[in-house]
Amino acid sequence: MPNVEASKRDLQKLIGKKLDAKQLEEAIEFAKGEIELVEGDRIVIDEKDTNRPDLLSAEGIAREIRARIGIEKGLPKYKVRKSNVSVIVDKNMAKIRPYIAAAVIKNVKINEEMLVQIINSQEKVCGTFGRKRKEAAVGIYDWSKLKQPMHYRAYDPRVKKFIPLEYRIEMDLEEILLEHPKGKEFKHLLEGFAKFPIFEDSKKVVASMPPIINSQLTGKVAMSTKEFLVEVTGHSQETVNTALNVMVSAFGERGFDIYSVKIKYPNKTIVTPDFTPGKITVEVDEIKKISGLELSTKQIVELLKRARYDVTIKGKKLLCKYPAYRPDILHPVDVAEDAIISYGYNKIEPEPIRISTKGSELKTKKFKRACENVCVGLGLQGVLTFTMTSKEKQAEMIGFDSKKEQFVEIENPVSEKYTVFRKNVYPELLEFLGKNKHAQFPQKIFEIGKTLELDSKAETGTIEKNKLCIVFSGKGADFNVSKGVLDAIADNVGFKYSLKENKTQSGLESGKSAEIAIEGKKGFLGELSKKTMQNFGLDQQTAVLEIEI
Amino acid sequence: MDLKQKVESLSIIETKALKALDSEKPKTMEEIAQKSELPIDSVRRAIEWLKEKELAKIEEEKKETIVLTAIGKSSLRKALPERLFVEALQQMKGKGSLEDVFKKSQLNRPEFNVAMGLAKRNAWISIQGGKKTVLEFTGLEKEFLEGNYPLEKTMKKIKEALELNKEEKKALQEALKRGLAEKVIDVEKKALLTADGKKAIALLETVKKRAYNVYGAVPKIFIGKKHPYVQFLDNARAKLLELGFKEMKSPLITQEFYNFDALFQPQGHPARQWTDTYQLKQPKTGRLPDKKIVERVKAAHENGWKTGSKGWDYKWSEDIARKVMPAAHGTAHSARQLAKGVKIPGKYFSIARCYRPDVVDASHLIEFNQMEGIIIGKDFSFKHLLGMLKEFAVEFGQTKETKFLPDYYPFTEPSVQLSVKHPKLGWIELGGAGIFRPELTQPLGVKEPVLAWGIGIDRLAMCALNIKDIRQLFSQDLTWLRNTKQVVE
Repeated sequence: MPNVEASKRDLQKLIGKKLDAKQLEEAIEFAKGEIELVEGDRIVIDEKDTNRPDLLSAEGIAREIRARIGIEKGLPKYKVRKSNVSVIVDKNMAKIRPYIAAAVIKNVKINEEMLVQIINSQEKVCGTFGRKRKEAAVGIYDWSKLKQPMHYRAYDPRVKKFIPLEYRIEMDLEEILLEHPKGKEFKHLLEGFAKFPIFEDSKKVVASMPPIINSQLTGKVAMSTKEFLVEVTGHSQETVNTALNVMVSAFGERGFDIYSVKIKYPNKTIVTPDFTPGKITVEVDEIKKISGLELSTKQIVELLKRARYDVTIKGKKLLCKYPAYRPDILHPVDVAEDAIISYGYNKIEPEPIRISTKGSELKTKKFKRACENVCVGLGLQGVLTFTMTSKEKQAEMIGFDSKKEQFVEIENPVSEKYTVFRKNVYPELLEFLGKNKHAQFPQKIFEIGKTLELDSKAETGTIEKNKLCIVFSGKGADFNVSKGVLDAIADNVGFKYSLKENKTQSGLESGKSAEIAIEGKKGFLGELSKKTMQNFGLDQQTAVLEIEI
Repeated sequence: MDLKQKVESLSIIETKALKALDSEKPKTMEEIAQKSELPIDSVRRAIEWLKEKELAKIEEEKKETIVLTAIGKSSLRKALPERLFVEALQQMKGKGSLEDVFKKSQLNRPEFNVAMGLAKRNAWISIQGGKKTVLEFTGLEKEFLEGNYPLEKTMKKIKEALELNKEEKKALQEALKRGLAEKVIDVEKKALLTADGKKAIALLETVKKRAYNVYGAVPKIFIGKKHPYVQFLDNARAKLLELGFKEMKSPLITQEFYNFDALFQPQGHPARQWTDTYQLKQPKTGRLPDKKIVERVKAAHENGWKTGSKGWDYKWSEDIARKVMPAAHGTAHSARQLAKGVKIPGKYFSIARCYRPDVVDASHLIEFNQMEGIIIGKDFSFKHLLGMLKEFAVEFGQTKETKFLPDYYPFTEPSVQLSVKHPKLGWIELGGAGIFRPELTQPLGVKEPVLAWGIGIDRLAMCALNIKDIRQLFSQDLTWLRNTKQVVE
């Protein structure tokens, strides 16, 4: 969940009403935020709704709060002035990153707090709603350094050069992808294209290479910047428009002047930003049914206005208009939640659930419990290990060839210790013993847990087995002990088994180990071989029993 | 105290240790521990007590051994200076100026001087003066280069504690002189029975022990028991069964279809990227459910299907949905259950092992348990969802004090966070809940509202087990496990 950092003073000013600590906390909850930290003037808000890019800035949170606490109602209004600025989109962008939306912001007056807000919210909007810049990447430029019309077109990566942000030398586009930290981070977004996108002005002064990096000369805003050009690129006009609306409306909240830009595609021209509100029709009864609240139509309309909707009543239906910066409203349930949040979760009287159902657990759990009871009766200590482990432990250290053994294997492990799923439990228990050589002997432990094997016929390509594993270590922990334990389990849980000489399970001492067959399921028991003991660093005699249950 | 009294006063540990001793052959503490089956620390204490009672005596044996010094060990691992020196000259085809050899050898100046001195003494090189000192192989260096060098052999033998022959003993002197090896003196304690001790053993059989030392320590008895965390989870399961919940299957590996697609998570969503979830190298894919369900889920993503939703407006791919992965959350199992069919009204739960590629630390595991479930009923509303959470607050948070906060989950709307005032932990986030989105339930064939909930079970387990570090839930410390009390929460 993204964190929004803000200045408390700035946030209070944007809300426009003095709130004490408790009121502020409750107000922020309306915006699906939780205060994570207050440190002097600095406030960090944990924003839970990753589908609300408009709540990723102090401006957006304040706008939401103003309506919820009744300072304002309904759709926020922003004046968009016409300008003669245009962006010309070359036809060679069609297959690379086809869509763009832009706006010019004038009368900009920013201090340090606002500058931090702008940069942070830009990053967060790209990261969450922009799907890590894939669907929307935002660029903000010093408009005084650029000459309109702007061009959005693709270049051969070796031909075009500019100075990327935080660098001092000109680099070609390929070099930027290979060397600049942002190039490395986002180069996969341009993979497979022969030409790369460039956003530049009428004099071919580069503003940025979307969605990678801005120019150091024109794509850097400072406290002294008086005019912005804001641009969003992506793969859907709707998405880039929404992201632009999120950014631009935040500037509107600050009272800056918003100017529109013409986007000239090869076959049509549109104007952005487009603040036409979204529309959705909701039945009054549906909101009542979902919330469980007895509300009049008038009450519901009032609640929705506090969630920044404009509502027209039409019989039993509500025609709702919602702000153009909200991408999260797909279904009437989304509107219903907004109404309930306005009402206040904690004002609702919870209704107990009165249905009569019978509890039951999985059949495998019952059998597992029976085995567990026998183990506890035998005086064994239960242990718990991970199902993810390493090939080394599951193959090499118990004498199997790790190249031949097939495992359910992780593609993106974070650690060499966890790269495959276990096929047997006992190597994990032997490792456990190796870590407990200082503890009192004899050591008698057990685990009942899942193992995984490949099975191309199974629904998930894998087959899961429940295994019971028991390990004895100390004087007298020999074959007879492991067989005696097997008998005890068989007698008390109630199954029959047969034994044969061990030929397949390596890691055990030959002649002192056996394979077990239990009604179609398999297992093995016996003493560990000297080599296995060495591999796990064990010096006391050790016997194991592992069966599928 | 006469001998009989002494024998009567012996503790069980002392008796066991005494019986393990011999009057002729002194035994080490390890030998006594093995014979008596006592922990080594108990043996050490018991022998001291027996010594005070004059039933045993302790002999200290000094042993001189030769070991490699830290420098010796590191030279053996890399190479001795003389070898680096000769190899440097060899790379220069057997002839070169002193300064060039010095640079090539990468030795420091004192090491280089020692090495050159040795090479000269062994007549491996000749040195020609003049403006520049020039070093040249004599031909005698060949044997050394072939690896036949007594000093190295000797050091290897010292490392493995093997007997040295005459030539090697000579080399040992050099090793000692050069600080590659050193002599150390070990003191080993051995215990032996005294004459009284011997008599005491005989007496043990005849003296009926009337007086136990009731205050003395007895050997610790470890009982058989479940792992405390497993016990905790079983207790939680029992509570859910009492509340009328039915357990769902919770496979470790699931199709992305259930983990994401059926939950209305769009395929391009960052949460599906590999930094957030584990993916498999093998197997790669599994089977999708009934074609009708797949078609409806596809339609829900692309255009909302008949649910009244706009959908996500993109082209949904069956190939992505077919991929398999370690389950990232328990909600995957609720989706599977809904697709399979549910009773209405019905209550279902799972306690599932889940996986996320985090960096393991005091608050993160890559493998952990999630407890969650669903309640399905015809007329359920948000009010019922809160009613259900109130019940959970009492069952799992041990409190009636609750607070509900707006929350977000991609698959529920409305969503709510349950905070409770826990008697031990204060205000905590106990869990999250919501009503499953219609885009989720309707394609899976469920028309009724589905209330979904999840409880942060690991946090509660840590509280019940009184631990601060989440890794200890999978503790590998046998002593801690043995000493942990039975979990009743």
